[in-house]
Amino acid sequence: MSLRHLWAVTRKEIQHIIRDRSTLVIVFLTPFLLLFVFAYSLTVEIKHVPIAVLDFDRSETSRQFVQRITAGDDLELYAQVAALEEIEDLLLRGKIKAALIIHPDFSRQVLSGSGMPMQIIIDGTEPESGAFALDNMASRAEEFIENIFADQLVALSVPAEALKPIDLRISTWYNPSLKPRVDLIPGLISMVLGLPALSVALTLAHEREHGTLEQLMATPIGRTELLVGKMLPYIFVGMINAIIIPTFAIVWFRIPFNGNFFLFLGLTAIFLFAILAMGIIIGVFMRTQAAALAVSFLLIFFPGFFLTGIFFPIAAMPEIMRLESLGLPGTHYAIITRGLFLTGVGLDVLWPYSVMLFGLGLAFVGVAALFFKKKLG
Amino acid sequence: MTSQAAIALSSLTKEFKDNRAVDSLDISIQPGELFGLVGPDGAGKTTTLRLLAGLLDITEGEATIAGLDLAAETEKIKSHIGYMAQEFSMYAELSVEENLLFFAELYDVPVEHIQARKERLLEFAGLTEFKERRAAHLSGGMQKKLALACTLIHEPQILLLDEPTTGVDPVSRREFWNILTELHINGTTIIVSTPYMDEADRCSRVGLMYAGRLIVCASPQEIRQRVEGEMIELRPEDWQSARVLVAELPGVLEVQNYGERLHLLVDSAEKRLPEIETVLRSKKASYRSIRPAPTGMEEAFISLIKRMED
Ligand SMILES: Nc1ncnc2c1ncn2[C@@H]1O[C@H](COP(=O)(O)OP(=O)(O)OP(=O)(O)O)[C@@H](O)[C@H]1O
Ligand SMILES: [Mg+2]
Repeated sequence: MSLRHLWAVTRKEIQHIIRDRSTLVIVFLTPFLLLFVFAYSLTVEIKHVPIAVLDFDRSETSRQFVQRITAGDDLELYAQVAALEEIEDLLLRGKIKAALIIHPDFSRQVLSGSGMPMQIIIDGTEPESGAFALDNMASRAEEFIENIFADQLVALSVPAEALKPIDLRISTWYNPSLKPRVDLIPGLISMVLGLPALSVALTLAHEREHGTLEQLMATPIGRTELLVGKMLPYIFVGMINAIIIPTFAIVWFRIPFNGNFFLFLGLTAIFLFAILAMGIIIGVFMRTQAAALAVSFLLIFFPGFFLTGIFFPIAAMPEIMRLESLGLPGTHYAIITRGLFLTGVGLDVLWPYSVMLFGLGLAFVGVAALFFKKKLG
Repeated sequence: MTSQAAIALSSLTKEFKDNRAVDSLDISIQPGELFGLVGPDGAGKTTTLRLLAGLLDITEGEATIAGLDLAAETEKIKSHIGYMAQEFSMYAELSVEENLLFFAELYDVPVEHIQARKERLLEFAGLTEFKERRAAHLSGGMQKKLALACTLIHEPQILLLDEPTTGVDPVSRREFWNILTELHINGTTIIVSTPYMDEADRCSRVGLMYAGRLIVCASPQEIRQRVEGEMIELRPEDWQSARVLVAELPGVLEVQNYGERLHLLVDSAEKRLPEIETVLRSKKASYRSIRPAPTGMEEAFISLIKRMED
């Protein structure tokens, strides 16, 4: 491997990125744009989820409970109904995504602290909104109970500070403010940081189409020199994005960053290596830019969306897709990103994912170099 | 003789899925030759040059370049040759100078030589005042000269140029050939494919390809002599009717059109010229001039190709 050749290709590619406006826009603007579009569209979707309430208890306590549940802008009381059939009808017509049924015994059991008899029905055809409604109602219910306990304890003249250590919430502990974005944005960031892989997939096809590749193949440049030389500039670009985008997200979306930022950058570099190598494989096999773009969407963008567990839990996938997701750099990187943003874990937890990323990267580069021939046709 | 040849091909063959683009070529090119490769579209010129540049796998046969076996030592050979593709293109976003530097580095030109060579080549190609201009903003002719300069940066012994002057204005074309002649004088072995016969005429040897085969390989003088008959140039007022008229006459072997002019290949110009004049007058076909003319490369090639087609 000649470092001189490597640098010649890298420098040429950097000059191309900087001077070709469209490339510059694609590599720096699209990640931002996508982050915004997804962050907002996904949030908006989960706001104002319409629900119906069937209150058999009709007590002061149950009324307070309903009020509490619909106090935020996440759940909206679409209708108070009187019979189960009405709920079914509303669900079928898509007017509501979930329904809350309060048992006749509700206030008695709640006030005596023996239970909280209620039932939540969700629309199975829209599991995201339904599950979201379920989650929110459950945690509101916990808050509600907590408050009632607190009131009762205060009535028993126990000082309020003594209550602090008690935390009844069991689920969603890593996302305490319950804004869905916070949970999603680190995953989104991990996805948009992988976008330069699309550009790298295009550069080889671009040279093929413009005839510069023929000229390049006639020189004594090594195959790995050419391929790695083309990846390096996009690793630089990716690292710049890896500083700007999370910083921006932390400020704009007010999401937490609980881990070590330098660790994040280091692991991002490994991720970029892996995902760019995936892009370069596409470039090796595709003859035209249009084909390279289409295949990149198929192999990088869409799986990055659906298979990496950013939006849909991997645990819920069929076995074959779970295996496939293991071969995608995005899967491991999404775990790393979430871990560093939300739970603030360190390398002791994240090392297997990092090793996996590095291994994938090496394998991809190997495959690319193996199949890339300095021949035409 | 073949042992010290710059390029030696023996039954070199390239087959694509459905056709033989290059069919059993046997050529031996001596160091310092300026070898012209001509032939109609699709004859296999580009495929031949790509094979020599190591860009295609050989189907059959062998080739030795600069004493190295092409199939076995492709990468080694690449540093001895300079190749300019037919549809070459430079890196549009890089300046003239940056393109040169890029190729200098890929060809491992020693750092201490780069500056001097760059300046010399820029001067040579008449690009010195444009050295900071982006390749995208150069004229077609300047781009070709830049491409040539890039293929010369490592001072290759052997140059493979695929239609380097197609689509270039006549002045640039002449300048380009002056550069080639200078390289030729300095001992570089050059293979150049061209659709222009005046360019073929400037080569030391010319190979005519047709349907993948080499049908003639000789010096321009020899090629002209191979054509049977002599030539008469006729400038009729109405060439369409005149063409029909003369094609039928005894002793006329072939009629070729050059715009309004007709080139007639006849068995003997001395004998046939008066006969033709008589017929034209008797049929009231007026003409501006009629005279015997030397057979050019172009007539020779058209005649040779016609014979192949028949
Ligand atoms: N990659 C390829 N795959 C299949 N057929 C090819 C390929 N490249 C060339 N050919 C065919 O091989 C033949 C020779 O083509 P080639 O480009 O060598 O001709 P050429 O003499 O350079 O023509 P031109 O003067 O038009 O440049 C043509 O019939 C062409 O269609
Ligand atoms: Mg050609």
